[in-house]
Amino acid sequence: MSELIKVENLTIAYPMADGEVFRAIDNFSMTVSRGQIVGVVGESGAGKSTIGKATLGLLDENAVIDTGGVHLDNIMVSHLEEHAQVEIRGNKVGYIYQNPMTALNPVLTIGEQIIEAIEANTNKRGAAARDYAIALLQQAEVPLPEERLEKYPHQMSGGLCQRIVFAIAICAKPDLIIADEPTTALDVTVQKAVLDTLVRLTRQENIAIILITHDMGVVSEMCDYVYVLRHGKLVESGPAEQVLQHPKQDYSRELMAAIPRIDHKVERFAVPGGLGQVADRERAIAYLMGRQTEAGEEGQPLLRVRNLSKTFETKVTALKAATSFKAVSDVSFDVFPSETMGIVGESGSGKSTVGRLILGLHTPDPGYEIVYRGREISELKTREEKLAHRKSFQCIFQDPYSSLNPRMSAGENITYPLKAHGMLGKEEARELAGDLMELVGLPRASARKMPHAFSGGERQRIGIARALSFRPDFIFCDEPTSALDVTVQAELLNLMKDLQDQLGLTLLFVSHDLAVVRQMCDRVMVMKSGEVVESGPCDKVLVDPHEAYTQGLLAAMPRFEFAPVA
Amino acid sequence: MLNFILKRLAQSGILVLVMSALVFVGMYVVSDPIAVLAGEDFTEEDRRVLAQELGVDKPLIVQYVNFLGNVAKGDFGTSFVYNRPVLDLILERLPATLEVAFMAMFIGLVIGIPLGVYSGLNQKKPTTKAISFMTTVGYSIPNFWQGVLLIMLFAVWLQWLPASGRGDTTEIFGVGWSLFNLDGLSHILLPAMNLAIYKICLQTRLARSGTQEVMYQDYMTFARAKGIGRDRLIRRHLVRNILIPIVTITGLQIGSLIAFATVTETVFSWPGIGKLLLDSIHNSDRPVVVAYLILITLMFVSINFIVDVLYALLDPRIRYT
Repeated sequence: MSELIKVENLTIAYPMADGEVFRAIDNFSMTVSRGQIVGVVGESGAGKSTIGKATLGLLDENAVIDTGGVHLDNIMVSHLEEHAQVEIRGNKVGYIYQNPMTALNPVLTIGEQIIEAIEANTNKRGAAARDYAIALLQQAEVPLPEERLEKYPHQMSGGLCQRIVFAIAICAKPDLIIADEPTTALDVTVQKAVLDTLVRLTRQENIAIILITHDMGVVSEMCDYVYVLRHGKLVESGPAEQVLQHPKQDYSRELMAAIPRIDHKVERFAVPGGLGQVADRERAIAYLMGRQTEAGEEGQPLLRVRNLSKTFETKVTALKAATSFKAVSDVSFDVFPSETMGIVGESGSGKSTVGRLILGLHTPDPGYEIVYRGREISELKTREEKLAHRKSFQCIFQDPYSSLNPRMSAGENITYPLKAHGMLGKEEARELAGDLMELVGLPRASARKMPHAFSGGERQRIGIARALSFRPDFIFCDEPTSALDVTVQAELLNLMKDLQDQLGLTLLFVSHDLAVVRQMCDRVMVMKSGEVVESGPCDKVLVDPHEAYTQGLLAAMPRFEFAPVA
Repeated sequence: MLNFILKRLAQSGILVLVMSALVFVGMYVVSDPIAVLAGEDFTEEDRRVLAQELGVDKPLIVQYVNFLGNVAKGDFGTSFVYNRPVLDLILERLPATLEVAFMAMFIGLVIGIPLGVYSGLNQKKPTTKAISFMTTVGYSIPNFWQGVLLIMLFAVWLQWLPASGRGDTTEIFGVGWSLFNLDGLSHILLPAMNLAIYKICLQTRLARSGTQEVMYQDYMTFARAKGIGRDRLIRRHLVRNILIPIVTITGLQIGSLIAFATVTETVFSWPGIGKLLLDSIHNSDRPVVVAYLILITLMFVSINFIVDVLYALLDPRIRYT
């Protein structure tokens, strides 16, 4: 079998503002043969996508290929002129983009976007191109393909958009498909269906795939061969099973250990979690413990939710009657002190809406009951009562990039709410901000830095410190790690477990990731279309589920089934 | 969409009504037509008769109600100064202003968008730097002085184009237009250019910033990865996406071009509506001013409406309810 793709000593550099050079890819080599599925794995910033872009000549304008290059069928494709690149793109190499919702042009119809690719890369024109487009959509398992041609991307789900992107990528029967995180934006059940389609199509046509991903589960299910990257350098490569099961390098071992597993629960992830100065940490904990409030009695639920429903309505118009959509339907649950309760479900299941309802960001439909520390929260009337409730009831948001005020330093972000309520002086606030930074594993000196100077994981730590500053008893966590890399996620989950142990926090943890929930939660509630499908201890629900829906979710999860690395 | 149109119509009605009341009161407060129109030798009695003739002797509220009643019958009143129906006066001059405004907008779009797209795509080229410099200059030249410069250059030194007036007009639907014959075209070119220079700069900047933003969107990279050639990439994928802000601003600009082309009309002696407005304010010719402003309000409302409909056509994600 001849080599289809040969990357040789590839080094790609970006000049930076300070005159230094940043090497996105550093002396990297790899080969891909026809019909092979090769995984390129690594965390964000590892340079995975850069390899794909170099193959297609889609690098940013300021990128410089320092050494080496990419050969396709013994032609050096990474250095071709733009017009020669156009011949290769779509024709010999298909590309599948990370986020299907943004990969399609929002103002053009699906039909136009498929047909233009067909006309650019094959000799089919007009009606023939249209017929072929319909055939491709059928192949990619898009239901009602003819109708879809007239539709726009926003009228379709992410899974459908990704199938359309597949159809475009395979339209000219390319030799190679580069799939850049093809399923990251999709739900697990959709992910499974989409990956199955991709594998089937490529096996049928004997197409090689370079699969760029951070998801080891996907790699272990799909790939023949794996390259592990870190900071643009090759860490390790080999047959998928060997690399995932017996990684030779420290970094690969760490990466595998950081993957949350569904099949058994670990106490802490085996990652070197950054912890702060002991003295500062202890001071912060002493401060927080000193402000302990009555966190509810053992055996009594701290939070009690009954008959929670939420209906969103659209207004009546001249042509349409009012429509209503029930996002949450009759949800009841209890959260007991010091436990972690999980809510899992796919997008649209209503799990985040439940959180927004109990946070008071939406008003539930009448007839509900939300009791916190023995008091119905809608009956909190005075300012003091409301403030006391909010202090005790905090949240951590999904997106660490938009949940911090970009014009305040990290320290100010942490203590601003306290200062706003006049609960702290300036000096005390600075002291506390520093202590809390150390508590969440960030150096206290960095409290002066602005949010943009921190990485996503660090920002999420700041978000946790901010939630802690009030000394809450209860923290609502809305997908707190879904935007983060797997090792960063592992560190953060370790941190949250530590804090929970030290402070006796109660957590309500919303996630789409069953494995993360398995690692974090004591009990779990599975939601689908606004309703609770089943609930119970994680050991039961996520191991031996009763309901078919939960069983389906578990079956769809890509399994990372190699022996744990101690 | 139907709902949206109905709501829009109702809003427009209210808007026009409020506008007419404001203008009516405003004109009443700032000037007294009798003081302007009466000759020096007018006696008290003459003044009273004149006021009665013009209908300005009654209380303001009665005048306003009478005015509304007449408007409902299609009568905007008679000019105090010219003693002719106001609507005739305005309609006589409106085409001149309309054609110079649309001509200017057309030049602005046709030159501005390509320049902007070019600058957005070639950010580091010297030509782009030159374009960016020129737009800054074009922004900052005062309109009347720029007009005088254009006359000096093209009419006085080069003697290519006439400096003032409207030239020959061609009758179409009973209205005279300059656009359809050579002499008329040569007359309209300078005033239109004078109005267009600012628009060119504006459209260039809008198109450039739009291009810079859209160029880095995922769908552009994906379209390139599909093997789409550069021409099609720009024509279909890029330009469609940058048109929305351009349409917004163009709508607003057309309105202000028509309503406030006064400076250019004065410099080039263009017999448009701007000059009529100035004279009428000066002479306290209330019926003309009121009718003019109501007409302009109507025009702004309909332009905005058209812009909103264009949005929905350009971006399928926008649907009005």
